[in-house]
Amino acid sequence: MPYDSILNWIKFTDPMANPFYPYIKGGSAVYNLPYDIGHKLWELIGGAIAWLVNLLFPGNGVSTFLVGNDMFVNLISIVLMVVVIFAVGFIVNITMIWEERKILGRMMDRRATRIGPLGYLQNIADGLKTFLKEHITPAKADKKGYMWAVTILIGTSVLIACMIPLSDRWFIVDYGTGLLIIFGLFAIAPLMILVAGWSQNNKYSLIGGMRAAAQMVAYEVPILLVFASVSLLAGSFNINDIVHAQANSTWYIVPLFLGFIVFIVSAIAEAERIPFDLPEAEAELVEGWQTEYSGMKWGLIMLGDYFRGYIACALIVIMFLGGWYVPFISVEQQASWLPEIVFLLKVFLVFFVFAWVRAAHCRVRTDQILNIGWKVLMPLAVINLGITVAILLAGGILW
Amino acid sequence: MVIKYLDKFPKGRNARTLWVLKPMWVTLKKMFKTTFHRPVTIMYPYEKEWLPDNYRGRPGLIYERCVGCGVCMRMCPTKCIEIVDSDDNGKKVQRPQVNLGRCMMCGYCAEYCPVNAMIVTPDYELAAFTREELIYGPRKLAWPNPTPGMEVHLEEHLLSDPERGPVAYHITDRPELNAGKCIGCTKCVKVCPTDAVEMQTVGENDKGKPIKVPKFDVSRCICCENCVIECPKGAITIKEVL
Repeated sequence: MPYDSILNWIKFTDPMANPFYPYIKGGSAVYNLPYDIGHKLWELIGGAIAWLVNLLFPGNGVSTFLVGNDMFVNLISIVLMVVVIFAVGFIVNITMIWEERKILGRMMDRRATRIGPLGYLQNIADGLKTFLKEHITPAKADKKGYMWAVTILIGTSVLIACMIPLSDRWFIVDYGTGLLIIFGLFAIAPLMILVAGWSQNNKYSLIGGMRAAAQMVAYEVPILLVFASVSLLAGSFNINDIVHAQANSTWYIVPLFLGFIVFIVSAIAEAERIPFDLPEAEAELVEGWQTEYSGMKWGLIMLGDYFRGYIACALIVIMFLGGWYVPFISVEQQASWLPEIVFLLKVFLVFFVFAWVRAAHCRVRTDQILNIGWKVLMPLAVINLGITVAILLAGGILW
Repeated sequence: MVIKYLDKFPKGRNARTLWVLKPMWVTLKKMFKTTFHRPVTIMYPYEKEWLPDNYRGRPGLIYERCVGCGVCMRMCPTKCIEIVDSDDNGKKVQRPQVNLGRCMMCGYCAEYCPVNAMIVTPDYELAAFTREELIYGPRKLAWPNPTPGMEVHLEEHLLSDPERGPVAYHITDRPELNAGKCIGCTKCVKVCPTDAVEMQTVGENDKGKPIKVPKFDVSRCICCENCVIECPKGAITIKEVL
């Protein structure tokens, strides 16, 4: 039997030619970069496996099934695509933690992380450390609430982080109501914090959970009003449409500057970061609502916190800072520019503001955040909505 | 609404908490400063802080200069110094030994040393595996290349003689003999570290034997008070000599 080259099994076919290709819009296939990466990964891995199997058992059906069955290849490609998207989100998250630690260190006149090049691997080391810690469940805790609350919390955080599109070719699903779904899942977290605080049977956790619930009352309504004004201006809830509307007119930070201020404050509160980290006030309550969580559960909770910070930054970039487009340059010219990198750089820039606020400000009291939410942010959000309505009445043309 | 809120508390706590820009400006300035220059933090095991010569680390010894008088031993607040026999090129000498497990780095020994043989050193990494290792003998205590900055001088302005300037106590103070109490035992001669005491015959007693009393060589005396302590009859005292 002649030697069968591996190149006969790795062909790099066009993923969009697959009849089961999932991204069809208006009859024509839409290019999706992570799907393409997943497809090419499977062409490599599956092709190699099929080649090996074919070498051992020439002429079998498994090899052709592995690389030739369209439905199977599509399924594996989707799985690998999700892995790719999660890996990118995870790396972005780790980079954000690193960025925050570095910035905080410099602002506090000290050196920050030290392990690895520029201290980048410190988070990996911390993750390994939490991984080795013991798992302790309190004897009198409500076991189901204790485990499910944190599972749903981390799960939804990671889910939305993966749902954020990095560009018009990097997405999981192109939702018609993307903003609403993302915000709906985003708002589950405070409720789950309340459940987690209750189920741990610990006074600090309970106070932290109650604070999360009290805080939620303050910032959810202004956030929804800002969402309403942005989607009114763009005419859609779809993230793609919002970004393209900004690329065609101007960034929404210009007409909706008040909304931007309201949203950045509320988003910091939503992501439970200093100065609005009342539920996890480590100076007053031991570790807030996370007191009884130990080991990798706690590590994942911290990771989920930063995932929510990433989501908040990404929403700000999408809604106010023009998404993945650079201003003053036409959209066609930017098509070959790696819009994902532009988007992530903007996210890191917004996260710099988050870290900066964290370094500069002290924690507010519960009554103060309610005051800020209802007496300052709420009127500003209503004024912002009024501005939006005025622009729309004037014809909806920015300039 | 915001203006009304600020008007309501023009100088109050709420208006100040609302005004959030000042701390942000401060932190941004600090960040640029520490990014372009270096932060104050020193990466300790890899780099060390610059220390002045008179940094008060562990006590050190200039072996050749020491006379073994024992002032350091008597002045030590934690009683960690002991005078032990040592060997200086075959000659048996007395030198201090410091138990650094008890030493509190006060620097009194260096301050009171009449010949400035005890010094302070910039050595602060003293961890050891056993307590015996912390007892520094005279040779281990000796600092290899001492500088004049490591000496600590105890000097004061005398109220009685303001024009003289700062002087050390062992220059102004000298032992004085109460000749009536002296029994001529020559103990002061034996304990004097600088051989400043000499027995002199001042006359004869009833039985025709010579009466010997100590004579202090003021130029060599370092006022270590060994003779005062050792005198069995308390015949020697320290007096200020102007």
